[in-house]
Amino acid sequence: MATLLATLLSHYRRHPGQLVMLLLGLWVASALWSGVQAINASARDSYARAEALFSTDLDRLERRDGEALTRDNYLALRLSGVPVSPLLEGTLEAADGTRLTVIGIDPLTLPGSSIFAIAGGTAATGTGDFTDFLTPPWQTQLAPDSLAALGVAPREAQGATPLLADGQRLPPLILAPALPPDTLVMDIAAAALLLAGSGQIASGEQITRLVAAPGALAEAPAGFALTRAEALASPGQLTESFHLNLTALALLSLVVGLFIVQAALGLALEQRLGMLRTLRALGVSGRALVAALALELALLGLIGALAGIAGGVWLARVLLPDVAATLGSLYGAGVGAELRLPWHYWAGGLAVTLGGLLLAGSGVLWRASRLSVLGLGQARAWRAGFHRQLTAMAAGGGVAALAGLALAAWLASQPPGEGLVAGFALVGAMLMASALWLPPLLGLALAGLTHLARRRPLAQWALADLQLQLPRLSLATMALLIALSANLGVSSMVGGFRLTFLEWLDQRLAAELYLRPPAEQFEAIDAWLAEQPEVAERLATARSDAQLLAVEPGGGEADTAVQRPVSVYGITPGATLTPRWPLAATQGSRETAWEAFGRGDIFINEQLAVAEGIGPGDRLRLSSPRGEITLAVAAVYPDYGNPRGQVLMATPYLTERFAAPPGSLGIALAPGADAAALSARLLDAFDLPRDSLIDQDGVKRIATEIFERTFTITRALNALTLGVAALALLASLLAQASERRRRLAPLWALGVPRARLAHLQLAQLGGTALAVGLVAVPLGLAITWGLVAVINVAAFGWRLPLHFFPGEILLTLATAVGVALIAAALPVLRLWRTPPRALLAEEAA
Amino acid sequence: MRALLCDRLAAPLLASALLLAGCGEAPPPPSAGFAGLGESAEGYTQARPGTPLRFPEDHGAHPDYRIEWWYLTANLEDDSGEPLGLQWTLFRQALSPPDETPPGERPEPTPWAADQLWMAHLAVSRGDQHAVAERFARSHSADPAGGQAGAVGHPFRAWLDDWQLATRVEDPDADTFERLTLSAFDGAGEERAGYRLDLTAEGPLVLHGDEGFSQKSADGQGSMYVSQPFWRVEGEVVLAGETHAVSGRGWLDREWSSQLLGPEQAGWDWFSLHLDDGHRLMAFQLRGGGEAGGDYRAGTWISPEGEPRALAPDELALTALDTSIVAGREVPTRWRLEVPAAELDLIVEAPHAERWMDTTVPYWEGEVIARDRESDERRGIGYLEMTGY
Repeated sequence: MATLLATLLSHYRRHPGQLVMLLLGLWVASALWSGVQAINASARDSYARAEALFSTDLDRLERRDGEALTRDNYLALRLSGVPVSPLLEGTLEAADGTRLTVIGIDPLTLPGSSIFAIAGGTAATGTGDFTDFLTPPWQTQLAPDSLAALGVAPREAQGATPLLADGQRLPPLILAPALPPDTLVMDIAAAALLLAGSGQIASGEQITRLVAAPGALAEAPAGFALTRAEALASPGQLTESFHLNLTALALLSLVVGLFIVQAALGLALEQRLGMLRTLRALGVSGRALVAALALELALLGLIGALAGIAGGVWLARVLLPDVAATLGSLYGAGVGAELRLPWHYWAGGLAVTLGGLLLAGSGVLWRASRLSVLGLGQARAWRAGFHRQLTAMAAGGGVAALAGLALAAWLASQPPGEGLVAGFALVGAMLMASALWLPPLLGLALAGLTHLARRRPLAQWALADLQLQLPRLSLATMALLIALSANLGVSSMVGGFRLTFLEWLDQRLAAELYLRPPAEQFEAIDAWLAEQPEVAERLATARSDAQLLAVEPGGGEADTAVQRPVSVYGITPGATLTPRWPLAATQGSRETAWEAFGRGDIFINEQLAVAEGIGPGDRLRLSSPRGEITLAVAAVYPDYGNPRGQVLMATPYLTERFAAPPGSLGIALAPGADAAALSARLLDAFDLPRDSLIDQDGVKRIATEIFERTFTITRALNALTLGVAALALLASLLAQASERRRRLAPLWALGVPRARLAHLQLAQLGGTALAVGLVAVPLGLAITWGLVAVINVAAFGWRLPLHFFPGEILLTLATAVGVALIAAALPVLRLWRTPPRALLAEEAA
Repeated sequence: MRALLCDRLAAPLLASALLLAGCGEAPPPPSAGFAGLGESAEGYTQARPGTPLRFPEDHGAHPDYRIEWWYLTANLEDDSGEPLGLQWTLFRQALSPPDETPPGERPEPTPWAADQLWMAHLAVSRGDQHAVAERFARSHSADPAGGQAGAVGHPFRAWLDDWQLATRVEDPDADTFERLTLSAFDGAGEERAGYRLDLTAEGPLVLHGDEGFSQKSADGQGSMYVSQPFWRVEGEVVLAGETHAVSGRGWLDREWSSQLLGPEQAGWDWFSLHLDDGHRLMAFQLRGGGEAGGDYRAGTWISPEGEPRALAPDELALTALDTSIVAGREVPTRWRLEVPAAELDLIVEAPHAERWMDTTVPYWEGEVIARDRESDERRGIGYLEMTGY
C-alpha cells in the first residue's frame, strides 16, 4: 500500500504546480467557510453585547410626572412589594477621551436573566467575589476589548485602577467578556460615587431606571408608567435577520468551495489516468487503488482544511480588526498573537471541509474504481457518456425546478410568517435547478449557434470545439454561475439591508438633539426652544400602551373582536419627519394620509397589519384610560425589527386620549446651526443634568459605523467567493490545456495565425462566461427575493424592501467575463509561447 | 442554633471567601488561603460565654457580629385538620467589620453604600405541595431602620421588602416581642404562596447553652442563641393561589455569631420539637468538628414552663435510620432521637420527604412527626432542617 501511495504521490513531484493548485483549492474553500463562520460568530457576539446595553429584556418603570427617579422611589416600591431593581447609567471619559458607558447595578435585586446578573455571577465564581463587588473599593467589570481605551494592558488588567479624564480612579478592574465594548458595570454605590464626582448627576440618590423581570408587575404602581420589555425599541430582530442572511451566505460559500474542490480533484485524477491504468495492469486491485486514492484525499484534505481554517480566521482578522478582539472574548484569550482557537472550532471546520471533500471526491473515486483496464488509449474514457449525463442533468434540474415551484405555491398558500425551512429549500431548489440546467442549455445554445455560423468556418469550428470542451467546463461554469448569483444575491441583500437600516436610523433619530425634559419644565423648555433661531422644529413624542379590542373593516363588514396588546407611539408630523417616514400602504396619496394623520387618524405598523389583516380605511377600537375609542387607520408603515404591533398618532392626540406624560423632545436644527452651542445654552438656562440631552447625530454615526464594518466584511467575502469560482475555472482550463493545444495545431498548420488562435480561445471562454453571467443575473435577483421576501418574512413576519442595484448587476456581468478571461489568460499565454513545431509534435504524439 | 446558616450563606451566590472565613475558620489558621480576609475577620465581635443578653435590644440586629438570623417555623392545621408547614427566615450577613471610629465621628455613608447583606426565605407546604421563594437586599448599619431590609429591637420589626415580622403591640412601653404579625407573599395567581399570621407568645424566651452562649464545636466556638418556642399561631396561609385559615404552633430562633463552624464541619441536622405534654426539645448535630473528628451534638430540653436544661454532647444520641432521594440527593428523613435524661427514645420522621429548599443556598427543611420508639404512639410534632447533603 505504501508503495502504491508513493507511486500515486510521485505524480505531484513531477507536477508540483498541480499539488499547489489542489491544496490552494482546498485552502480557499475551507478558508471561505471558516472566515464566514468567524465573522458570523463575531457579528452575533457584537450585536448580543450591544443589545444588552438597552436591557431590552426587562420591563421598565417611569414616574408619571416625568420627574427623575430617586433611591427613595426605589425603597418605597420595594417596601410595598413591587419587585423592581435600580439602574444608574451615565458616561465617563477615559484618559484618552473615549466615552465609556457606566452602568451601576444592584446585583441583589436585578432579575437573574439579565446579562448584568450573569456578568456578576461570572465574577463571583472567578477571581472576583460577590462581597468585593458590593463593598469598597468595589469592582469594575468590563470586556477585554474596552481595556485599550483605559490604557491598560490585558496582562495587567486584573485589579488595575485606571485614572479617568476627570482625575477619578475606577474601582479595580475585573474582566467580563460578555459585556459590550466600552461599557463598565459596577455596583450602584460605586457608580453613584463616580457619576456624582464627575458632576454628571446632581446627587448619588438619583437613579436612571427602575427595571423588573418581564411580566413581574401585573400593572403599574400608582404614579408610575410601566413599559413592557417587548415594547421597547430594539434593533434585535433587524440584526437577527442579518444573521440569518449571513448564515445563508456561509452555506452558499460552502457550495462554491465544494465545486472548486471537485474541480481540483478531477484534475488531479485526470492527469494520472495513464498511471492508474498502468497500476491496474500491473495487478493492483481496484479496491486497493481506491483505498490508496481515498487515503491521498484524506491526507491532502487534512492539510488543506487545517490551513484553510487558520487562513479563514486570519482573513477575517485582516478584514475586520474587531474580529480578533471578539473571538478573544468569546473563546478566552489568545487569538491575537498566536492562533489558539477552541477545539470545537477546528473540529467543526475540519468536519465540514472533509465532509465536503468526501462528497466531492466520492464521484472521482467511484469513477476510478470503474476504470477499465482495457480503456487504454481512450483519452476521454469517462467522458463517453456525456450526452447521457446532460440528459440526466436536465431531468434533475427539472425535478429541482418542479420542487421549487411546488414550494413557492405552498408558501403562497401559507399565512405570512410560516415556512422558514421551506423558504431555504426554495432558494436551494432555485440554485440547484439553474446549476443543473446550465450545461444542457449551453449545449443547446452552442448547437444552435454552430448551425447559424455554418458559413463562417472558423467561428463554426470555435463553437464546435466549445461543445467538445463543455463536459470538462460544465462543472466550472456551474461553479461560476452559483458564485455569480450568490454574489449578486447577497450583495443586493446586504445593500438593501444597509439602506433599510440607514432609513430606520434616520426615521428613529430624525432630530439632531434629543431631550428628556422633566415634566414640570416641559412646557417652559418647549416655549424657550420655539424662540431659538437654531431650532427648525420641535418633535415631541409620547408613548403609552393599549389593548386592541376590535377591528371595524372599512368595507362595512362585521367587526372582528380581538384582544391584542399594542404600543401607542406619538410623533410630530412636520417637515422633518413626514418626508422620511416610509409608508407601505395608504388610502389615497401619501399627502392625504399625512393630512388625515394630522387630523387625528392613526397609522399602524406592518406587523399589526399583517397579524390582524388590517388595511387603510379600517377602524380600530382601542382601550384607553378614558374608555374605549375608535380610530381610523390612514396608512400602514414598515417597522423593521419591531416584534410588536404599534399604533402611531400625533403626539397631542396621544397625550390627550391616553393621559400619557410628555415624553422626549426631539430638536431638529436649522441648517448650519451649532448643536453644541444650543445644547450648552439649553442646559444652562434650565439647569438640566448633562445626560438629559443626547446628541443623536453622534448616536447615528456610531451605529452606522458598526454596521458599515460588517457590510464591508460581507462584501470582501463576496469578492473572495468570486475568486474561488475563478480558480475553479482556471483549474478546469489547465486540466485540458495540453490537449487543447494539440487540437489547435492543425488549425495553425492550415494557416491560422497564433494571435488569431489566442483571440479565438479568449472569445470562446469570454462568451461562455457572458452567457453564464446573463443566467446569473435573474437567478441572483431571485435569490435576493427569496432572502428578503420569503425567508425574512417566514422568520420575522416582515419583509425587507427589495432593492435593485444596476451597478451590481453590471459588475456581476463584468466580473464573469473578467474572471473567465483571467482564467483563460494563462493557457493562452502558454499557447502563445509554444513554438508551432511543438504543437505539431504534440498532435503527432 | 441553625448555626448552620453559615454554610448556607457560604454556598454559591454568596460564595465569598469572606463568608467562608467568617463561618468556617475557627481560629483563622495561620496558613489559611484567605490571608487578607482572615485579618478582616478579626474586626468582628466574637460570641463568648458570659456575654450578657439584654432585651428588647437583642431582638434587633447585631451588625458587630458577622452573621445573624430570625428563623421562624410553624406546624399548622387548616379548618379540615389537614397539616400545613411554614418557614420564614431573615438572614443577615455583614459585608465588612464594624467601623472602629466612634459612632459620632463616622462619615455619612454614600448613597447605596452597604455594609449589611440580607437574605429572606419563605416556604409553605401542605401534603405534596411545597412553595419556596427567596429575596435579597442591602442596607447600611448607619441607617438601621431606613433600609430595604433590617431588624429593629423595639418596637420589634424585622423585614426585607414587604416581607415582615413585626409587633402587634401598640403600647411602646410594653414588651413588643410578645405579639407579632408575620406577613409575606410571593407570586401571583396560581403560583401565589405566602401567609399573614398572628403570633402570640405563650411562654418565656429560652436561652440555650450557657446563658445563651451555644457551643458549636469541641474546640469552643459558638453563637449567641435564643428561642421563643411557645408561639400560638393563627391566620391565613396561601398556597397555589388557595387561601387556608390555619392555627398551630410556632418556633422562632434568634442566633448571632461571628465564627461558628470549623472548616471540617460539612453540614448539620437540627430538630425543634413541640411535644404533646408541653415540653419542647431542641437538638442538633454538626457533622464533623466533635471530639476526635466525630460529630458534635448538643440540645436543650425545655419544660412546659420554659425552664431550659442544656444537653451536653453525651446526653443526646441521633441516629439516621432511613433516607429518601430528594432533588437527586440522599437525605435522611427518618431518625432515632434519644435523650436518656428526659426518658425520651423517639422515632422522628418526615411524612413528606419533598421539602427541598431549592434556593440559591439549597437545604432541606420540613415538618416532622415524633413517635415513641417502643409504643409507636405520637409524641409530638416539629421541624427538621438538614444541610450539606
